[in-house]
This record gives sequence, structure tokens and C-alpha cells, in this order.
Amino acid sequence: MNLREFPFGYAALSMLALALITGTIILLNPPPKKEADLTFWTFAKPHYEAYEKVYHEFEKENNCKVDLQLVSGQGLPQRLQAAFLADLNDVPDMCENEISAAGSFFRGPVEHIGFEDLTDRIKADGLEEKMIASRFAPYTSRGRVFGLPHDVHPVLFGYNRTIMEREGIDVSKIETWDDFIKVGQKVTIPDKRYLIEMSATGRDQLEICLFQRDGGYFDPAGKVIFDNDIAVETMKFYVPLVAKNSKTRIANTLSSSFGAVIAQGMANEYFIGVMLPDWRSKIFENEIGTLEGKMALMPLPAVTKGGRRTSTWGGTMLGITKKCKNKDLAWKFAKFLYLNEKDLARRFAGTNILPPVRAAWKEPAFDKPNPYWSGQKLGRIYANLAPEVPAQYTHPFIGLAKSKFEQALNDCVKRYEAEGDKDFDAFVRQSLKKRADEARRQIARNPY
Amino acid sequence: MSATTLSRGKENDLGGSSGYLKWQAKAAPYLFIAPFLILFAVFGAYPIIKSLSLSFYATNGPKDAVPVGIANYSFLLSDPDFWIAVKNTVVYALFSIFLQLPIALGLALLLSQDWVKGRSFWRLAFFSPNLMGQVFVGVLFAILFQPQFGLINIALNKLTGGYIPLDTKWLNDSANVMPALVITSIWMYAGFNMIYFLAALQSVDKDLYEASAVDGANLWQQFRHVTIPAIMPVITFVLVTSTLGSLQLFELPYLLLGNGPGPDNAGLTIIMYLYDRGFVTGDLGYASAVGWTLAIGMLIISLIQVKLTGASREA
Repeated sequence: MNLREFPFGYAALSMLALALITGTIILLNPPPKKEADLTFWTFAKPHYEAYEKVYHEFEKENNCKVDLQLVSGQGLPQRLQAAFLADLNDVPDMCENEISAAGSFFRGPVEHIGFEDLTDRIKADGLEEKMIASRFAPYTSRGRVFGLPHDVHPVLFGYNRTIMEREGIDVSKIETWDDFIKVGQKVTIPDKRYLIEMSATGRDQLEICLFQRDGGYFDPAGKVIFDNDIAVETMKFYVPLVAKNSKTRIANTLSSSFGAVIAQGMANEYFIGVMLPDWRSKIFENEIGTLEGKMALMPLPAVTKGGRRTSTWGGTMLGITKKCKNKDLAWKFAKFLYLNEKDLARRFAGTNILPPVRAAWKEPAFDKPNPYWSGQKLGRIYANLAPEVPAQYTHPFIGLAKSKFEQALNDCVKRYEAEGDKDFDAFVRQSLKKRADEARRQIARNPY
Repeated sequence: MSATTLSRGKENDLGGSSGYLKWQAKAAPYLFIAPFLILFAVFGAYPIIKSLSLSFYATNGPKDAVPVGIANYSFLLSDPDFWIAVKNTVVYALFSIFLQLPIALGLALLLSQDWVKGRSFWRLAFFSPNLMGQVFVGVLFAILFQPQFGLINIALNKLTGGYIPLDTKWLNDSANVMPALVITSIWMYAGFNMIYFLAALQSVDKDLYEASAVDGANLWQQFRHVTIPAIMPVITFVLVTSTLGSLQLFELPYLLLGNGPGPDNAGLTIIMYLYDRGFVTGDLGYASAVGWTLAIGMLIISLIQVKLTGASREA
């Protein structure tokens, strides 16, 4: 055959030839297969970097090979969820999941959950006593525990000490939110400076206040509770702090609580302080270097005198997938990463994240003064409050519940900005009930 | 072997060859389209049929599917979030049609004038935002829309002498989310649609303008009675594709609003709603029902548009 007569000429022929050549090369040189006894996915770079330093030790001790992988935080739950739903074998043996994504894995019959039930292993090793028990709650579904908690994440108030001193504020006298609001009214300059970063439209800080009061989205039985009296009181307390034209407005927000946005807000003294879980304190150290030595920590104000001075924000679980080839080895590795006290102390120095293992808090690393936080003993302050951290319960529809709660916040803020506190209690009750009912209606469709 | 046998054998050969050729001629079209048909059947037709069947189930992956009849559709039509998504998507689509396309046409008319200097540069400049991905645009505009420190607020504050405050929240205030989305999409797509209009304008016969000028038509009359009819097929095409694109909006608001629908669901679009119910909540059956409802809606809207613009008659 004359090559000129090839359909569509030389161009098509060249492309076909190239495709054949490259296809053959790829077929003959497949990528080397990773031969690992355990594949481990994590979404958090600080965790990955910390584990990277120690996992070889586990490999030596157990004569095995671990494949540690850093996977995108957005991609991990979606890839894993898709693989679980389709019952694929292409899943890691173990992985870490962010707390807000954890609930979505617990949909469907318990026996179809893609994670291994760890309840018996946790009981056998007495981990409920060794670790902060409330931290198992977010990873529990229908009484069975599917994840080991990585952290506690108590929340403190982190503030620019120099501004407070300049304004003559003695933070040690702030005990309750009422005290805090009084200070806020003194130091806040509308549109120029706010005492605390809190959002009028996003739920992050409202959620912290809700948990502090022992509220939540679901009760341990999975019932929607974000329209109960605690939620109503929390909303009534929170909205005047963030609503425009409110006499007690001491808070504002920028478009994000992270990255360059919050760094600019803090560095330019637009915010005096923020709600600060342990993980966020490290972000501040890394991203707002100009505030080194100027920042300080204090416990959250209590709702009533003598009440709880902390709350919680965020979390990570470690789960073993049902497809894991060697579950005993995976459990051993989980304990190696999560229970080794010396290593946890070393990791705290690099991440500021307080581990849920009580015994680890005795390590000297937790008493080391931190120059960024005006020489305060960061680890000890967080550890002292850790036992008070409230439990939060999850559910397959946690995302929906959070979205509905946020809608209620927006309803309430708009109403407060328009009409102030006139009949506000009734409005808050009605709004929360309406949104909670919408969530209940959707959840009721779930046949599992 | 005799000569007779030889010639008979040759005849047989020819007969066989002719039969083969006939079969080949008949089969050739089917063989040529077979690769497409097979791929379409596996990756197109099967998922379409499967999704239709799935839309009548409540699901949790292939293992857990419970038939629910038309409950997914009836719940969908009674879910306030779905109607918020429909409202947002329609508003965005209307802005695309009535704001973005006129801007694109205006730019094309301007850049088709001989007196405009550096036309090639301006064409490239207006088109270039489209060379960037939506992900990058989303991240970029999230920074530009910052309250207090964002470039847009600083510029607006200076230009209005402080009337628009630095603290204006574009992405954190439900009233401002849609304007922010529209501004971003105009920046990204007006130049892209401008290219279609430019190509159409260049193909309009210049004699028509000269003839209409001789008849005393002014610029507006020329635009109304010469330009618009001449480029009507392209207008219809851009109108239909922009509407369909708007109805499928997902990445831009998702990234601009920080991986969610924004405050008070102000940026929730139908596809975001589908994604949330299908891949976050995990009910692919319900998500399929959303997908089919959207597909039927898009079909109806496209048919109306084609009918109104008279494109079917043109064809």
C-alpha cells in the first residue's frame, strides 16, 4: 500500500505510529510495583513529616515494609468513599481522616462500613482510660468505634499581648464571657479593630461556643439536637457579638480564618485575638512571624463563673480499612504512631498538637516555654484544659446538619441586624427548629 | 491439470473474492463506527440508563440500594435547598445572557473597527483570562475580593471616596456572593464569547453596510437590521452554550467560596447540590434524580431558546 493513500494522510499515520510506539514502550516498562505490607494515607503534611521520621524504626522492629503516602485533604475522603462504595480493593490498609469527613463513612449498615470495627481492640488495650475518652465519640457509630483519635484540640484565646497591655487590660481578670464582652467593648474600634475573629456567616466559631456549652449537632444516639435549649442560648449569645449595629459587637471576620488573610488581619491589628486550638497555634508561629513574642494565650472565658474554660475545634482519626491484608500489624503500627510517649512529645515540639494520651503530657516538652507565645508553657496550658474538652458526636449527615445550623445563623444575624433583640428569643427558636426539621426530613429518607 | 479446471478454479476464486468484497462493502460502515459505538455504549449509554434506574433507588454504593419509586423526585421538588440552588443557577444564567453576552458583543464590535489601534493585542488581552483554569481564577478572585486588604475593595473605596467601605464582604455576605460570581465570570468568559462574535462579524458582507448607508440607515439601524440578522446563527450558538454552561456551574463558586456554597447557600448551584448529595452525603440515587431533572430542564430551555431565536428555521 502506498503510504500516501493512508486515510487522512501522513499526519494520521504519524500519530498512529507514535501511539503504537509509546503504547508498546509503556506496556514493556510497567511502573515498579510497590511491595508494602502496610499502605498508610494521611492528609496532613505535619503528620506525614512526623511519621516519616519514625516509621523506619517500626519497619526494622517488625521486619516489614510501610508505604507512607501524603494524599490531598480534599481528595482523600472522596477517593476513599468512592472505593468503599464500589467495594474496590485499591484502598490503603490504614488512613487518617479529618473529623468533619469521618461521619460520611458511617452511612449504610454497620457491616458495610469500610473501616474495621476497633471497639474490641480499644477495650482490650485499655485505650479508653489511657486516652481522653471524649475523643472517641466523633469516630463512633451505633456504639462501635471505627477510629483512633490523633488529638484533643482544646481551644484557647490567643491574643496580641502588646495591644492588651497598651489598653491597660489585665486578662487574668477575664473569667466569663460577660467579662470578655466588657473588655471587647473597650478595645473594639468599629471597622478598624475587633477583639476577636468570629464570623457572622460561617459556623466555625459558633460551633466552638456550642460545644463549650455541651451542645452539638447530634446526641450519642444520632438524634438531631441543634435546636435544643443549649443551641438556642448559644445562638442568642453569639449573634449580638457579630451582628452589625449591635451594642455588644466585638467580633468580625475576613473572608478566611487561614493563610495570608488572617495573617494580614493579625499583623495589621484588625483583630486582637482569635480562638486558638493547638494546631492553629503552630500555623500562627509559621505564618505570622512578625508577632513572635507579642502573642499570648488565655483560657476561653467561661459561660458562667467556674465553668468550662475551653472547647474543641477539629480532629483526626486513624482507621484500618476492612481490606487491610494484615490487621494485627496495622493495629501495632497504629499504636506505634499514637501511643509512644517519647515520640508524641517529640512530635508536639514540631506540631504543637496535644496528643490524647495522658501519660505523654508528663514529658518535659510540654513544659517548655515557647518564645512566640511570650514565653508561656504552651503544652502545659493546653494539657491542663484537655480533660475538660467536650465530646462531639458525628453522623453520616453531619455535613447537612452543619450547613443547616449555618443557615440558621444567617437567618438570626439578618433578623438581629434588622430588628435588634425584639422577640429575638422566639425567632431563634423558630429558625433553629425550621432548619433542624429540614435536616430531620432529609435524614428520615435514609433507609439504613 | 487441464486448462478447463484452471479456468474454473480462477472463476471460483474470483467468485469468492467478489463475495468477500461484497461482504466487506456491507460491513465496512459498521466496522468503522464500531469503535465509537462500543465506547459510547460502555461509557455513555450504559451510565445514562443506569443513572435513570438509580434515580428510583436510595443508595449507599452498589451493595446497598433500596427501591423508593419516585420518592427521590418528589423529595427533590419539595426540598428548599434544591429551590435555592435552582434560583441561584437561574439568576447566574440570566446575568450570563443579559450582561455577559452584550459585553462580549460590544467588545467584538469595538475590536472589529478599523480605527481601534492595537486590535490584536486587545483581542489577546480580553481572551487571555480564558487561558487560565477556573481553579486558578477562583483562588485569584478569592484574594482580590478580600475585605479590608483586597484589591477590589481598596480600589472601590478610593474611587467612591469611601462610600464603599473597605470592610465590604463579597464572599461572606449572602447579598454580595452572586455579584462576586458574576463579576468573576464576566472577567473570565466575556473575552471568550467575544472571539465567536468577532469571527461572525468578520464574515458579514461589507456590501450590505454600504447598501444600507446609501438607503440612509444610521449606525443603530445598521446594527439592528444588518449586523444582528447576519450573525444570528452565532448569537444562537453562544446563547445556547452559555446557558448550558451556566446551568452546569460548579468549579467557580466551589473554589471562590472555599469549597462550599457560601453564606446562607448564596452560591449553591444545582450541580453543587447534586455533588453534595451524591458524593458528600453518599446517595447516588438521589443525585441521579437531580441530574435527570437538570437534564430535562436544560433540554426544555435549549428548545425554547432555539425556537425563540428562529435557529431551527435557519437550519
